Amino acid sequence: MSVPTQKPVRKLSMKQRYSALTHDLDWPLSYVEEDDAFPYTKFEGIKVHDWSKWEDPFRLTVESYNKYQAEKDRRLYAVLDGFAQSQGQLSLSDASYMNAMKIFLQGIPSGEYQAHRNFAHLARYLNGPGARFASLCQSMDELRHAQTEIHTLSHYNKFFGGMHDWNKMSDRVWYLSVPKSFFDDAGTAGPFEWLIAIGFSFEYLLTNLLFVPFMSGAAFNGDLPTMTFGFSAQSDESRHMTLGLEGIKFMLEQDEDNLPIVQAWLDKWFWRGYRLISLVAGMMDYMLPKRVMSWKEAFELYFEEQMLNGLFKDLAYYGIKPPRDVEWAIQEKEILSHQVYWILYQFSHAAAFTTTVPNAQDQAWLAEAYPETWPIYKSVVWDKAQKVMDEGGRYFNPGLPQLCQVCQIPMGFTEPGDPMTQCQRHSIYEGERYDTCSDGCKWIFEREPEKYVQAWLPVHQIYQGNCGGPTLPDVAVWYGLEPGDGGEYVGSMDQLDWAAWHASTVKEG
Amino acid sequence: MPVVAISEYKFPSKSRQELYGDDQLVHVWWKGNPWFVAAGCFRFPKAMPWGDFVGVLKGFYTADPDFVPDSLDSVQWVIDDQEVTPDPSASMEANGVGHKSLVQFSV
Amino acid sequence: MSVEAEPRMVGVDLQENEENRAIVEAVEADNEDLTVRHMPGLIRLTKPGRLVINQASVEQRLGRPWETHEFQLAIVSYFGEIVEWDDDEIVIAWKH
Repeated sequence: MSVPTQKPVRKLSMKQRYSALTHDLDWPLSYVEEDDAFPYTKFEGIKVHDWSKWEDPFRLTVESYNKYQAEKDRRLYAVLDGFAQSQGQLSLSDASYMNAMKIFLQGIPSGEYQAHRNFAHLARYLNGPGARFASLCQSMDELRHAQTEIHTLSHYNKFFGGMHDWNKMSDRVWYLSVPKSFFDDAGTAGPFEWLIAIGFSFEYLLTNLLFVPFMSGAAFNGDLPTMTFGFSAQSDESRHMTLGLEGIKFMLEQDEDNLPIVQAWLDKWFWRGYRLISLVAGMMDYMLPKRVMSWKEAFELYFEEQMLNGLFKDLAYYGIKPPRDVEWAIQEKEILSHQVYWILYQFSHAAAFTTTVPNAQDQAWLAEAYPETWPIYKSVVWDKAQKVMDEGGRYFNPGLPQLCQVCQIPMGFTEPGDPMTQCQRHSIYEGERYDTCSDGCKWIFEREPEKYVQAWLPVHQIYQGNCGGPTLPDVAVWYGLEPGDGGEYVGSMDQLDWAAWHASTVKEG
Repeated sequence: MPVVAISEYKFPSKSRQELYGDDQLVHVWWKGNPWFVAAGCFRFPKAMPWGDFVGVLKGFYTADPDFVPDSLDSVQWVIDDQEVTPDPSASMEANGVGHKSLVQFSV
Repeated sequence: MSVEAEPRMVGVDLQENEENRAIVEAVEADNEDLTVRHMPGLIRLTKPGRLVINQASVEQRLGRPWETHEFQLAIVSYFGEIVEWDDDEIVIAWKH
């Protein structure tokens, strides 16, 4: 009897496996029209001729996705357990470090969740299987990020103020309307604009500025859980960057009519994203007790060097130009963090984080990082704020600020080249006046006024009586603020607790 | 440019004047003084006399320890980019202050 | 076609840990003109033009099989474009 010759089972290559498990699982529709099955991919004006041209360089399949995501989570949760068991919160650089984390926790997980929902929408409604599968992976990633951020920071919630009601706060508190409105804006756009807004402009152009220096800062300040979830999330981010880059190139390659639409979205979303992460500038330069790099340095490294000198030269091939307001952002790198932190400082009585005058060590660092601009801010505002402190007071702005109709940040940004004059821009639409903080936000408003007239501006909502009552204490209750959450850091509950924990450590030792 | 949308896209302003009854929002900007990081946003009756409005500001700006309240008696007022000499007894509205107007001065 | 004086930089940021040391060594061996920068928790590898991660080089240093998908556990960020991610290599470069 002859043994039947069995061909050895050949393992598929990565390319073949990917193709078999994504593109080959798709099927042509037989009893519904394509436009009925995918009703959202035409109205924005983007022309697509061949969805099969969408490539995912990561060539992920469900099997490999699950395998590596599970491993990432295992590693992260091992760190979280070890940190909690060893009372890691005691070895942070200082309790004041947590202020940066409070802003992060209050603002970011809700944004991740929004991203999860909208990528899930794309995973259903994009016509091509490659694009759908990459969106599905990102949707699951974003949910994981929200979960890991919440888990990570839940340990700190046992010891520090400001983190107990992050979910309610993200919906209500004035500075958190900045990230919320950003994602609302993107999520109410069509799927292609969402891809340029989040996938490309946020994930590829700007996310490194948010995560990499910040997570490296966490490492430097003894915050292992944040460093670990940050790097864990960021490893997914590499895929998200790829999806964004693939998305923009796909649109540009499919039809040359897509170019002006994509350019306008890029112009809009660069500025929206840049204004959003200005909060990070203030956190990096003023809220980390030990700093890795300045905002200015991070901006030069991650944006000017990598994006302007790298990416945009590549995109020039398709006719894409750098974002229209990029020069404004470049000149602002010298002053952005000073302005943002000064905003946070004078309104922190209505916030769930604390602020304080930079101490001698901070000031020395700021003087070195910003030799041109720090001396101006020191002499004009910080010396005076310190003097108020020395006399037993604490300066808080007694009123409510004018907000930008688009980015929703208090209008504290200044005219280019004139750091003492706030920038005021106005537009009249249907007889009503609207204010914006910069040429960038003004342009965005005037491009789609119908969208931004609906902005839920926290200050206006307070004045309409929609935020718990007419006085600041009423509003604070409605925000979910508790005593000890906001205000001045020196003498705060966090600072006193921190001192007590370390005093008792010494005694026991 | 209209919003590109799947259906008619038209919504009222979330901060239109009628939502404030007889009042309106007024932005006040002490130009050139970074102590107040942004212009302030206030809700005032349209009928409030200009002089009363200045009185409120004289109290408000004491949050700046260097502020001299009487200095507001001799500033050049600018309403929505127009230099003006307001009538203290006339209402803010009569002096040209509209909903979300910008009232500015320098000391 | 325009001739550029020097090719534009590409790069990758990796988590600094024991396992990734083998990857860094492999990249250093296979890529001339590589610049390595250490930041807290992070290693940044940059190079003009084109950066290659070879499976064989990584396996040799790790002393065990290593599939290129595992690179996802190491990478924190990159700049450039992933022009190839296959069984035997990952290539980061600009396309145009």
